[in-house]
Amino acid sequence: MDLSQYAELFLAESREHLSACNQLLLEWERNPAALQPVGGLFRAVHTIKGMAATMGYGRVADLAHRMENLLDQLRRGGKTPSDEIIQLLFRATDALEKSVTVAVAGRERDADLSVLEAIDDAALQFRPAAQPSGLARLRPEPAPAPADEPSSSAPQVSADATKSGPTRAVHVVIRPEAPLKGGRAMLVLKKAERFGAVHRLQPPSAAFESDDFDGRLEFELETSAAPSDIEQALRGAGDVERVVVGAAAIDEAVITTGEIPVTGAPNPAGGAGGGARSRHIRVDLRRLDTLMDLIGELVTERGRLNDLAARWIGRGGDPEIDDVAIQISRLSADLQNEIIQARMTPVWQVFDRFPRLVRDVGRQLGKQVSFRVEGKEIELDREILDELGDPLVHLLRNAVDHGIEPPAERKRLKKNPEGEIVLAAVRERSSVAISISDDGRGIDRAKILEKAKREGVVGPHVESLSDDQLLRVLARPGFSTAEAVTSVSGRGVGIDVAMTRIRALGGSIEIRTQAGKGTAFVLRLPVTLAIVRALIAAVGQERYALPLTYVAETVEYGTTPTTTMEGRDAIVLRDRVVPLVDLRKLLGTNGAAASPPPRRPVIVLEMGERRVGIVVDGMLSQQEIVVKGFDAPQGTLPVFSGATIMGDGVPALILDAAGLV
Amino acid sequence: MIDGSLVSARLLVFRVGTLAWAAEVDQVREILPRLPTTRIPGAPPVVAGLVNVRGTLVTVVEGWRALAPTETSQPRPPEDAGSTLILEVASGNGTKDGSGKKLVGFTVDEVIDMVAVGDTTLEDRGGLPGVDPTLVRAVGRRNRPGGAGGGAGGGGESGKDLFIVLDLAALLGPVLTT
Repeated sequence: MDLSQYAELFLAESREHLSACNQLLLEWERNPAALQPVGGLFRAVHTIKGMAATMGYGRVADLAHRMENLLDQLRRGGKTPSDEIIQLLFRATDALEKSVTVAVAGRERDADLSVLEAIDDAALQFRPAAQPSGLARLRPEPAPAPADEPSSSAPQVSADATKSGPTRAVHVVIRPEAPLKGGRAMLVLKKAERFGAVHRLQPPSAAFESDDFDGRLEFELETSAAPSDIEQALRGAGDVERVVVGAAAIDEAVITTGEIPVTGAPNPAGGAGGGARSRHIRVDLRRLDTLMDLIGELVTERGRLNDLAARWIGRGGDPEIDDVAIQISRLSADLQNEIIQARMTPVWQVFDRFPRLVRDVGRQLGKQVSFRVEGKEIELDREILDELGDPLVHLLRNAVDHGIEPPAERKRLKKNPEGEIVLAAVRERSSVAISISDDGRGIDRAKILEKAKREGVVGPHVESLSDDQLLRVLARPGFSTAEAVTSVSGRGVGIDVAMTRIRALGGSIEIRTQAGKGTAFVLRLPVTLAIVRALIAAVGQERYALPLTYVAETVEYGTTPTTTMEGRDAIVLRDRVVPLVDLRKLLGTNGAAASPPPRRPVIVLEMGERRVGIVVDGMLSQQEIVVKGFDAPQGTLPVFSGATIMGDGVPALILDAAGLV
Repeated sequence: MIDGSLVSARLLVFRVGTLAWAAEVDQVREILPRLPTTRIPGAPPVVAGLVNVRGTLVTVVEGWRALAPTETSQPRPPEDAGSTLILEVASGNGTKDGSGKKLVGFTVDEVIDMVAVGDTTLEDRGGLPGVDPTLVRAVGRRNRPGGAGGGAGGGGESGKDLFIVLDLAALLGPVLTT
C-alpha cells in the first residue's frame, strides 16, 4: 500500500501529540511529584510509535520506542524524576519532533538520534533492579506492537491483577458536599493507578483544582482486576458517592486504533463504555479555501440574480421569481456562514507551543517566568491564525528578554522573583484582541524620547511620548538595534516585523507600558479575512471598498472646522484634529473625472489612538464583500488589502485602513 | 538561438499593433473578449488593471503598451475591441498554491491563428527593428498566406507572415514582481 498520501496526516497527528508532550513535560517540570504527566506522555509517545511504524518510519518508531521504555520505567517507579531526567525528556521530544519532520520529508536517514544513548542509560538507571520483570521489559520489543502497554507490578496489588488486561470505563462521583473534591479525585486516581494504566481521564487532573470541578471524573482503567475490587478500592478514597465500573468491553487494540485517526476506524458497535468519540474529521485546508472561493462567487451571482429579478418584475414578469431570489439569498447566506465557521480554528492550535518557548527562552536567559494562557478557545480564521505565530513569538521573546527582570533584580524591587507573562485572547465585536502582557520593568519613555529626538524621529519640543507615539518610534525598522535602547529596554527587535505582519492581516497593534509595572501589547485582528462588511465609496469614476471594522464615523467635508496638521489638511472633530487624505489625490484619479462634487463625505478611520479622515466623492452603499487577493503589480500603492467583485461582476479594490492611518 | 522547448510546441499567433506575435498554446489558459478592467493605482501604465475571470482576479497587461509603445501615434482600436488572453506564466517567487505559476491577462488586437511549429519555420532572428531583443524567443513564418496577411498577394515571403515568438516570462515577469 502506498502510504505517502498519509504522510501529511501523520505529520499533523504527530505534531499534535508532540505538542501534548511539551505541555505535559512543562506541567511535570513545574510539579515533578505529579503522577498524571508521565501517563499522558507515555500514551502520546506510544501513539506516535504506532503511527510511525505503520508508515514504515523505522528510526522514528525506534526513538519513540526507547522513549516509551524510559517513560514506562518512570511511570512504574512512581518516583519523582530528577530535573536531569525531565530535561532529557525535553531533548528527546525535540529529537522526536525533528525526526518526524525529516521522515515525512523523505530524509529519515538524516534523523539525529544522538539522544538515544542518554535515553537508554536513563532507562537502565530507573529500572527497578530487584524485579526480574524489569529485565524482561528490556527485551527488544517489536516496535509497532501496540500491545506493550504497562504490564508490571505495583507493590500493593498482586501481579495477576495488573497484568495487561482489558480496559474498563470507570465513572466516579465525589459527594457534592465534600470539601476538597479535587483532592479526593486525585486520591481516587492514585488508587486506580495501582490497578493499571489510566487512560482518557476526563477532566484532566489539572482541572481538579479548578473551582468548576464538579466532582465527576471518568477514565478507562486497563486492568484484569474484578470490578468489585476496583470499586471497593476507589471508595477507599473517601467522600465517594458513586463508582461505576463498566464491562471490560474494549481491548487495547481498539484503543490504539481509536487514537490513530489514520485508519479512521470507528469504535466497533459504538464502543460500550468508550464514551463519546470525537466527531471530527480532518479536511484539507485547500478544500476549505476552494469552498470559500465558490461561496464567494455564489454571493456575487446572488447579487446579480436579485438585480435581475427586480428588473424582470418591473417589466411585468412573474413576481414568484422574487420569492426564489429571496430563498436563494437566504440559503447562500447560511451556507456562507457555515463555511466561515468551518474555517474557524481555536487559538490554542497556535498558542500551545508557546509555554515551551517561554520556558526555553527563560531558562536560556536565567529568568524565572510563569506563563499563563487565557481564552484558548477563542476562534479565528485559519488563515489569520497561521500568520499570527511569528509575530507572537517575537513579542513573547521580547517580553522574556527585555520585560522580565532577572530574579535578583526583582527581589531587590520587592517583586515576586518569578515574573509573569500572560497571553490572552478576547473576542470583541467584530475582532479578536490578543494581548501579551508582562509584569516586568516596562519601557523607559524618557530614554526612548531622548533617543528619538537625537535621531530626529520626533521634534525637539516634544515633552513626552504617548503610548501610540512610543510604538511608532519603536516600530521604526532598525530603531532598537542601537546600543542605548538595547541596554535600556531593547524593545523594538522584531516589532516592526510583527507590526507589518499584523497590518497585512488588517489588524493593529497597541502598546501600553508603565515603568516598573510592565508592558502589554494588544493585537487586534479581524475574525475572518474572507468576508467583511464594507462601505463602497466613489472616487471619480471608480469604486473602492472600505472595511467597516475601522470606520469610526462619517462627516461631511465643510461642516466641520478645517485646519492643517504637519502641512496636511485636517478637520477638527470634537476638539481633536484629524488629518485628511484626499483619495482623489492619493489614488491619482484627478484627471479621470470631472471636478469633485461640492460636498464630499469624509470617512473617519480609527485604529488604536490614530485617526484619519478619508475624503471621497460619495458613498454608494454598505454591503458584505468577499475579500480576494490579487497579484499586485510592481508599483501598486501600498494601501490595498485585496479586492472584491461587485454585484455587476467588475472588481473593486479594498482600501487597507492600516495603510491609510 | 532557438530554444529546444519550442520544437514541438503549438503556437497561438495574434496581432498587436502592426506586428504578429505568438505564444505557446500551453501557456494560454483561455481567450476571452475584452473585459472591463479596474485600474490599480500606482501600477505602471502597461497594466490595464484587474479583471474578474469567473471569480478569480487577474491582472491584465495592455498588449500594445507592452509591445508597441512606439506606435502610440497610430490610431488605437476602440477599447472594447480585441481579446484578452489569460496566460499562465512562471513566477520567480512562487504563488500561494505553490505551483509557481501566475495567471495574467494580456490584451491583443486580434487573435489570428494557431500553428504547429512543424508547419512553420522558426528562425533565430534576434534583431528586429523596433523590437526589444530580450523579448524574442524566435521568429516564425507561417507557410500559408492568410490570416493577418489577408490578401498579401500569395507572396509567401511577405513580411506580414512573419511572427515573433514572445518570451512571456521576460515580458511579464518584471511587471508582476512586487
